[in-house]
Amino acid sequence: MVRTGTPPAGPRSAPPLVWMLPAAVVAACSVGAVVAVQAAARVPVAWCGAAATAAVLLIAGETARRGRTVTVLRRRQAEHDATLQRRLAEQEAATRRLAEALLPEAVLRLQNGDTAAEVLRAAAQTAAKDPDFTPAHQAVLRTVVDAVAAEEELRDSAQRAFVNIARRVQAIVHQQAQDLREMEHRHGEDPAVFGDLLHIDHGTALIGRLADSIAVLSGARPGRQWSRPVPMFSVLRGAMSRILDYQRVDLHAVAEVAVVGPAAEPLIHALAELLDNATRYSPPQTRVHVSATEVQSGIAVEIEDGGLGMGEEARERAERALSRASAGIDLDDLGETPRLGLAVVGRLARAYGFTVALRPSAYAGVRAVMVIPGDVLTTLPPPRPVPRPGTMPPPRPMPTRPAQPRPGDRAPAAAQAVHASGAQEPGPQDQPAGVEHVEHNAYGLPQRRRRTAGAPRPRPGGAAPAAHARGRGPAPAPAPAREPVQPGMWLAAFQAGVNGEAPPAAVPARWQGDDSSDEGQ
Amino acid sequence: MSGGEADDGPERMYVITGGRSEAGGRAAADLDLVTLVVARSVPEPGMAPEHAAIVRMCQYPLSVAEVSAYLELPVSAVRVLLADLLAGGRAEARAPVPAASLPDAELLEAVMHGLQRL
Repeated sequence: MVRTGTPPAGPRSAPPLVWMLPAAVVAACSVGAVVAVQAAARVPVAWCGAAATAAVLLIAGETARRGRTVTVLRRRQAEHDATLQRRLAEQEAATRRLAEALLPEAVLRLQNGDTAAEVLRAAAQTAAKDPDFTPAHQAVLRTVVDAVAAEEELRDSAQRAFVNIARRVQAIVHQQAQDLREMEHRHGEDPAVFGDLLHIDHGTALIGRLADSIAVLSGARPGRQWSRPVPMFSVLRGAMSRILDYQRVDLHAVAEVAVVGPAAEPLIHALAELLDNATRYSPPQTRVHVSATEVQSGIAVEIEDGGLGMGEEARERAERALSRASAGIDLDDLGETPRLGLAVVGRLARAYGFTVALRPSAYAGVRAVMVIPGDVLTTLPPPRPVPRPGTMPPPRPMPTRPAQPRPGDRAPAAAQAVHASGAQEPGPQDQPAGVEHVEHNAYGLPQRRRRTAGAPRPRPGGAAPAAHARGRGPAPAPAPAREPVQPGMWLAAFQAGVNGEAPPAAVPARWQGDDSSDEGQ
Repeated sequence: MSGGEADDGPERMYVITGGRSEAGGRAAADLDLVTLVVARSVPEPGMAPEHAAIVRMCQYPLSVAEVSAYLELPVSAVRVLLADLLAGGRAEARAPVPAASLPDAELLEAVMHGLQRL
């Protein structure tokens, strides 16, 4: 188009010649006619010729002018067309960028938790160059971002609601489990009641696992937290505790390691889901074999069942369920997913660094292998000391019983002495030998004495001077030096030191004054 | 949920007893609170921790009640575990000496006096 607009520029340089040509022809004809006609007619013919020449000249001039105008217009039109086409191309490119880059990125950022305002601000920096399109594109972006943000928020609140419900159920189940454990101990001697309690306990644990699964699928961690490392054997039996058919599970060759507290509960839950799958999809008369062996990268827990096994397609589907859960799962999928457990396992595996693989088993069933990384493993906690009945000392309760009466009449006195802050002299006085006596608590463990109990100890010597020390300040100088055990003294001294004003003897003197006034009461 | 109070392990009681609340088997039928149990083997790897603990502590005869107290397990659960050990020949139960078979006090006194006169 642009090229087509340029040729008229050439003829335009010679328009006088072109457009005067018809007039020149008419003028020449007129001159010829004037010469040819008789003399009498020459004047009218000359006039006519002149008029015709003028008319043609006029028309030709007008035509030429219009032609120039058309040319100019055409060129302008061509330029306009070019501009429009360029803008069209730009707009197309911008729209494509909006669709292919900006919007997906904005949605991704929203899903990662950025706010709508942040996303819009970031998108505005990379907006289209043409200012005419920018507002429209921003509007599109804003609409989409708002819609996605609203949806994300809805999903978040739904997930929060799920987690909230799951937490409540978990709290109830946890309380119930504790109560049941107490009841099991209380009624442990009646096999019938004990059996019923075990039955209820089992059902409660199943509810707990369901609540844990919902919490995990909603993005929270499973319920309990363990403060201490949990032995692998306990982890596996904890997982068995939470499935229906735990009696069909055989534990073989469990490695002697423990799992650190924070990783224990996710591991127990993931293993429970795998065990549940193994027992659920194998015939009831078959056994499920579990072993935990050390491998280079940690511990491999193998769960083998004697079921029908999975075809290659089913196995792929299951692995896909695992990996899709790793990428995040929708709550919408919760409804009909038959293998909810795999989604939970996948999510936990991603969060805590386990790897899970499903393979055909030698028993023709499925062999699930979970590798637990070494960094969540630790050594076994020391086992509880087993009492050795054959050796002295005799069983636990024995030492406390004879020890009890001796401090029985003295310890309260000492305690009173403590609370009265040394006002009672008799307590310390008849306890010179008992000072070295180590008390035992109900569990036979030595009990730490309160340091304040020693406070009255130096008093038998120093108390009498302290009594009349009220008037004479410097007299009992040695007494404060031997009195380092008043509660809070060190803090007071520290504060005094920090303030930089009080001499160290000032504080004990004040305490002595308090003691004396107590004595006076 | 609140964490931290990990007094109990993650395993529940029914898994420890294998879902049984009552000891089966003939030998287990007369497991009493005061039945003395003595181990007939040493703890072996592969045993459940509770079984191993019983075997370890019963190297010297111990009553069922004591085992229950040391393991902090209900008596019924301990009976189930002991029944397993008895059935496997890893432990032996001895009925307590019946009171009737003890020599009477007079005889003991006579013996004591006789010894003192020596």
